[in-house]
Amino acid sequence: MPSVRLNINGEDQVVDAPAGMPLLWVLRDFLGLTGTKYGCGIGVCGSCTVHVAGRAVRSCSIAVEKVTGPVTTIEGLSANGDHPVQLAWLAENVSQCGYCQPGQVMTAAALLAAHPRPDDAAIDAAMSGVLCRCGTYQRIRLAIQRAADRP
Amino acid sequence: MTTEMTRRDFIKATTLTGGGLLVTFYLAGCGPATPTTTTGPRTTPAATGPGAAVTPDPGDPSATIRPNLFVLIDGSGGITVTASRSEMGQGVHTAIAMIVAEELDAEWDQVRIVRAPADRALGDQVTGGSASISSMYDRLRRAGAAARQVLIDAAARTWAVEPDACRTEPGIVVHPDGELRLTYGQLVSAGIPDEDIRVNRVEPWKDPAQFRIIGTPMPLRDAPDHVRGATLYTNDLTLPGMRYAAIARCPTFGGRVLGYDRAAALAVPGVTDVAEVDGGVAVVADHTWAALQGREALAAVWDLGSLAGVTSEEIRQGLVDSTPAVGTDSISASYDIPYLAHAALEPMCAVADVRSDRCEVWAPSQDAQGFQTAVQQITRLPREAVVIHIPPIGGKFGRGLYVDAVPEAVLLSLQLGAPVKLMWTRDDDMRHDRYHAMSRYQATAPASGLEVPRVREILATSPIPTGSWRSVRNHPTAFARESLIDELAVARGMDPLRLRLDIVGVEARRVIELAAAESGWGDPLPTGWGRGIAYHATFGVTHVAEIAEVSVDGGRIRVHRVVCAIDCGTVVNPDTVRAQMEGGIVFGLTAALKDGITVSDGAVVQSNFDDYRLLPFDEMPEVEVHIVPSSARPTGVGEMGVPPIAPAVANAVFDATGVRLRSLPLRL
Repeated sequence: MPSVRLNINGEDQVVDAPAGMPLLWVLRDFLGLTGTKYGCGIGVCGSCTVHVAGRAVRSCSIAVEKVTGPVTTIEGLSANGDHPVQLAWLAENVSQCGYCQPGQVMTAAALLAAHPRPDDAAIDAAMSGVLCRCGTYQRIRLAIQRAADRP
Repeated sequence: MTTEMTRRDFIKATTLTGGGLLVTFYLAGCGPATPTTTTGPRTTPAATGPGAAVTPDPGDPSATIRPNLFVLIDGSGGITVTASRSEMGQGVHTAIAMIVAEELDAEWDQVRIVRAPADRALGDQVTGGSASISSMYDRLRRAGAAARQVLIDAAARTWAVEPDACRTEPGIVVHPDGELRLTYGQLVSAGIPDEDIRVNRVEPWKDPAQFRIIGTPMPLRDAPDHVRGATLYTNDLTLPGMRYAAIARCPTFGGRVLGYDRAAALAVPGVTDVAEVDGGVAVVADHTWAALQGREALAAVWDLGSLAGVTSEEIRQGLVDSTPAVGTDSISASYDIPYLAHAALEPMCAVADVRSDRCEVWAPSQDAQGFQTAVQQITRLPREAVVIHIPPIGGKFGRGLYVDAVPEAVLLSLQLGAPVKLMWTRDDDMRHDRYHAMSRYQATAPASGLEVPRVREILATSPIPTGSWRSVRNHPTAFARESLIDELAVARGMDPLRLRLDIVGVEARRVIELAAAESGWGDPLPTGWGRGIAYHATFGVTHVAEIAEVSVDGGRIRVHRVVCAIDCGTVVNPDTVRAQMEGGIVFGLTAALKDGITVSDGAVVQSNFDDYRLLPFDEMPEVEVHIVPSSARPTGVGEMGVPPIAPAVANAVFDATGVRLRSLPLRL
């Protein structure tokens, strides 16, 4: 089984993974990072979103050997759960079941890293592929606006 | 009624049920490696603000009293509330703890929540019908009040004063002189003998005017873990020696496997076992991906069984209107809804660990005791040896009432002699649901007079499984009745709001008037827009009116704004009421605007979120929720936001276009 070098949440890791194995399952089953969720397996729900080299990536749809930058998962977004996006999520009481929220938070954090003051169109463009069955979208928008320090 | 609960009763009760609750309690706080985990205690920023940490009571945290099944108090002043219903995002655990804490006069930040396993001693644990709080409200208040009385009595004995002359402040019993104080932690640390944890009388419950927790918006206790990815859902659990399983399923219901390539599956690195199971073939592996690859490699061939060739269109032919049993001066119309999937983001899953003398199961269940019975029947173990844990649930909306994944995992664990995690893929979840029934609802009303339309349900004989879907029959019933009221208003040349106010009862009128006032009913809208209203009392108990403003552009229906008014009796957590209305509206909009489930050649066509679409972020309307103040008993909120939205949107589409849509999803 090929060895793959990864940098996950600031730590270098070598994992033995079959070629083609999605990053999602390496994170969850090999590294115990279960905050990244399986939702659809085909890159249409966004629950599995992580950052690769700072960009939001669907970890279910990228083979682990194709990962070419440092990976940040929800566990590594902040040391104490105090990333501005996480704090904004709590302030707006966004989550209901919480299952999709790691993907929502990671997508929003990548958006704000690239566009610190996104307008509504930019928020729509970034967030519309991340599904929430509980229907927390209105609060997600408020939380992103709060994290962006924008009325 | 006098309550009499002692710790001995508790120990007796839990001994009878295998000590499941005790196990949960003593494992509490062991950390995330332990599958049975707890919620809290957490000081959430929104609850207390930064720096408002509670000073721990310098008592003995190993000293505890358990005045009843729902409350444990330790010597540091910590309060542990046992939540006996399933938390799936509806906020029930936080609400249960709020009610107990209110009557116990506890410091909210000192309250932690433990999830109960299946345990008959806890009473009904079915989490459905939006009834958890309405059915447990008195019992939880009594549990909190009884625990408070134990503490007051203990302090009164210490001081040699009359208990009735003492009072409490949050976490503290206060001497009649107003000066001496004993914290709950000090009282427990000092030791309260078993015989004094017997409460023969309970002080009158609080006057709701004195409530300081019930009625205050509280953040969900799970939220800090949610945003850190620290919540452990069923599929996130790992047990020593655990195997990972996936099942290749016959695409139709009731088919069987004809053949498969066992060798090819076993050749996939990491795959260790292939086993035939009811309705399919299981592949067992060292990790999920190997199991999924092995499942592909099986290339299973199926006998589709008796459903081969069946289509949803054929099933729809069975929806035959009956002749309305009314005179000629009546108006009648039929409204159709398709099969609908639950499509929670967390797919079905289960972890099972079957031993010779004991079985533990972790599953996203809305019916812990029902699952316990099912597992008991498979394993033939005594009930107390079957422990059903309910981890936090990633949404279920009724799906969790059905045990499906659990027997599969239990049988595999039994066969392999190892713990098994069985994950249903999205495809499994979408194509093997218990769907909301395809159905027709025929509404009838006199053309004149002040009568609410009667609605008759017409179901086709469904060859595919159906089940409870958030709000169950209320969704189609509201669609039919509230659409027909609009049709009546048009026939009579009346404002649909006016007609509703003429024909409904007082509670309905209150929420309809509130929604109308807040939405600016009658104010002009942009060209091409329309406004529609609907009202429904889901399960006959919670009154909800919703007003939708929509635009129609080239056949595309866009919902811009929804104003919701709700009367749900006493509000335990106002933020949860709002969240459930917002979420119910989104759930109903998905049903109103997106996709139904269809059947072709006996199999469900849709398999993922690309062909069974959920309302996306950029189609979220602005939602306002207005709550009618009430001191009546709580009535429930989990499902009540769903039913009015589809008819409100259909009525708004009529207002915008003059086109009456009588089928969901709405298509112009």
